[in-house]
Amino acid sequence: MKKTFARKYLGIPYAVYLVLFVIAPLVVLFYYAFTNSTGHFTLANLAGFFTDSNTIGTLIYSLCLAMVVTVACLVIAYPIAYVLARSKFKSKAVIVMLFVMPMWINFTLRLTALKEILNLIEGNLAYYPFLNSVIGMTYDFLPFMILPLYNTIVKLDGSLIEAAQDLGAGRRQTFFKITVPLSMPGVISGVSMVFLPAMTNYVVNDMLYNSTYIMGSLIGSYFSAYDWHNGSMIALILLAIIGVFTLLSGESEEDGRRGGALL
Amino acid sequence: MIGKMMNSGSSKIAKIMAGALATVFAVTGTVGLLARNTFAADEEVAATGETVVLRVCNWEEYIDLGEWEEDEVIDLDNGDIFGENPIYEDFAEWYFEKTGVKVVIEYSCFGTNEELYNMLTIGDVYDLVCPSDYMIMKLMSEGKLVAFSEGFFDTENEENYYVRGASPFIQQAFEENEINGEAWKNYAACYMWGVTGMLYNPDEVPREDAMSWRIISNSDYYRQVTVKDNVRDTMFAAMGALKSDLLMSEDFINSENYSMRLRDEMNDVSEETLMQLQEYIQEVRKNAYSFESDSGKADMITGKVLANLQWSGDAVYAMDQAEEDDYYLEFAIPDECTNLWFDGWVMLKNGIGNDAAKQKAAEAFVNYMSMPESAVRNMYYIGYTSAITGGEYDDTVFQYIDWTYSADEDEDPENIVEYNVGYYFTGEEDSEDYIIYATEDQTRRQLYAQYPPKDAIDRSAIMWYFDTEANARVNQMWINVRCFNANSIPVWLWIVIGAAFAAAVFIMIRTRINNRVK
Repeated sequence: MKKTFARKYLGIPYAVYLVLFVIAPLVVLFYYAFTNSTGHFTLANLAGFFTDSNTIGTLIYSLCLAMVVTVACLVIAYPIAYVLARSKFKSKAVIVMLFVMPMWINFTLRLTALKEILNLIEGNLAYYPFLNSVIGMTYDFLPFMILPLYNTIVKLDGSLIEAAQDLGAGRRQTFFKITVPLSMPGVISGVSMVFLPAMTNYVVNDMLYNSTYIMGSLIGSYFSAYDWHNGSMIALILLAIIGVFTLLSGESEEDGRRGGALL
Repeated sequence: MIGKMMNSGSSKIAKIMAGALATVFAVTGTVGLLARNTFAADEEVAATGETVVLRVCNWEEYIDLGEWEEDEVIDLDNGDIFGENPIYEDFAEWYFEKTGVKVVIEYSCFGTNEELYNMLTIGDVYDLVCPSDYMIMKLMSEGKLVAFSEGFFDTENEENYYVRGASPFIQQAFEENEINGEAWKNYAACYMWGVTGMLYNPDEVPREDAMSWRIISNSDYYRQVTVKDNVRDTMFAAMGALKSDLLMSEDFINSENYSMRLRDEMNDVSEETLMQLQEYIQEVRKNAYSFESDSGKADMITGKVLANLQWSGDAVYAMDQAEEDDYYLEFAIPDECTNLWFDGWVMLKNGIGNDAAKQKAAEAFVNYMSMPESAVRNMYYIGYTSAITGGEYDDTVFQYIDWTYSADEDEDPENIVEYNVGYYFTGEEDSEDYIIYATEDQTRRQLYAQYPPKDAIDRSAIMWYFDTEANARVNQMWINVRCFNANSIPVWLWIVIGAAFAAAVFIMIRTRINNRVK
């Protein structure tokens, strides 16, 4: 009795954190999103989001950018994670660390270096703004894709693969019928860790001279024009989109597990 | 407008939040206060009993922070100048010696005027801040500033370094320009000033091209010119380019009220002009290298771009840096018009309040920064141009300019020109007492940027602040320029997007059904 009592209190620091830094800002966000400059309730900001061709255009542009970045990360990360996880290297951990190491270096520093490299290759960065953003973000977010993939694949039950091979499945068949479905949770968590920041991280865009706004920069521009209301509304809608996405991926993750269990 | 809302107390949420925050921080706060009181009590023993905390907020890298190298001593006839400690710490020491009052400077920085304004709106409290002209005007119009006391303007008092030493040319500007019928000078003391222009690479760009704002859309420099990633500076340049023919016409230049007309033209934010500006800046965007907020200098120095819309102070910095690699850049103040800007110290009501001791310290701080030696230290450290000339009382600043820009003695006399900075020191055009004998190229380089010639100042205009309505319009124009517009998506792409979306939904549903069946 006494023990459970004490354990409950361990959650207090997190509860305080939650209230102060998650719930309270959200409340403020809601407040500004649904009020106008005189402080009265309004839905104009909400309607404005969907009727303004700029916000919709920016949303589509950000989605496209995020999609391309995510696919690029996945295509690069999956083979690496797979090879690493299935290989019999003794120093696997060291190689994984090599991929994660860039994350320890300050991210603007990394981008500055990347900028110089790209400038050397392309001659003039301004010719390829979209490509530069994709390269910059892929470079930046790759470790977030590799890690969850590696962790899932390395824990994958090897006997299932042996069983598939025993039952006459070819290498390719085994990979697509066993490994890929079972690594879906890793894919999903990797995708959500890359996709969401890619929609809003405008620092990469700014530093690599892509002058087209993405969602993050659009929000910023409203705030620097002292218009907190429209800025909050865009942030809120973005939050909703991300929420729906996470919910959907959560469900399909469950599906994936069920599928695995049925094997 | 937001401030009003927060202050009105109509928002229950704010109250609840404040309550919650207060409770949470009550404990730590009390501890902190106790600690501070003990600290203050200790000081009391040492001093006469008063401690003033002055919260100063300034631009980043915009004040002498000391720690100069040994060989950086500026040896003027009036004595050596050297920055050992941060200049605000020197102020605290000076103030203590003068008055026996202990001042603690809490020094912090902001990145942009808008950031500062937002910080103030959410309730950050500062006593003394240093925003740009338009933000000073905005804060003034909203009644957020404390006026300087009468004593501050007493020219008889030797310690009033600001009124005694600020350039007559700047004092005049601060007197003539008014907000709500009150002159700027009542609320603001100029710290640094400058103009905007084009920093360019003279090997690739002929000077006459850089002398027009039209360079930003000039296809000869496709993807090789940068503009600023803030609407005001880029808009000003675009306005100059757009109205170039008018601004350069003889009729306009020779018209009786030229300065007034120029200011009105450059501050024109009517619907119609904004439409034209939007179109023009869209063109600029297709032509320019980038919209930069800080990388322009580095990109000029490394040769990535050939021309860069720049503030005079940053241009000086970039030219200095480039010279270290034997690479020479030049600065041009376009013929159409240039944006004359100021950054100035203002005291905030929410910080100073009715605290006379604090206001006295704040005014002393402004005066300390206006001492000729301080002006030189700050100028040397940050590269911008101080508003302080020293007036008729002190020629340290002129000695410093001379020390910095005079040609070496062994320079070929043919190569030396007279550069008159008289208007800046006396307010009169051709004062013969303030001539720098500099090498000819300095008339296009640092000297030219740091002390623009009189004719450049004659074609300068101050950019006014935008009221709420105009600000929304201007911001909308900027967003229209920068955003990918959904209307520009062709129909076939909409169909592709729709099809992809439908396919994704279809696949998702099918998987789910399949799973159920299993």
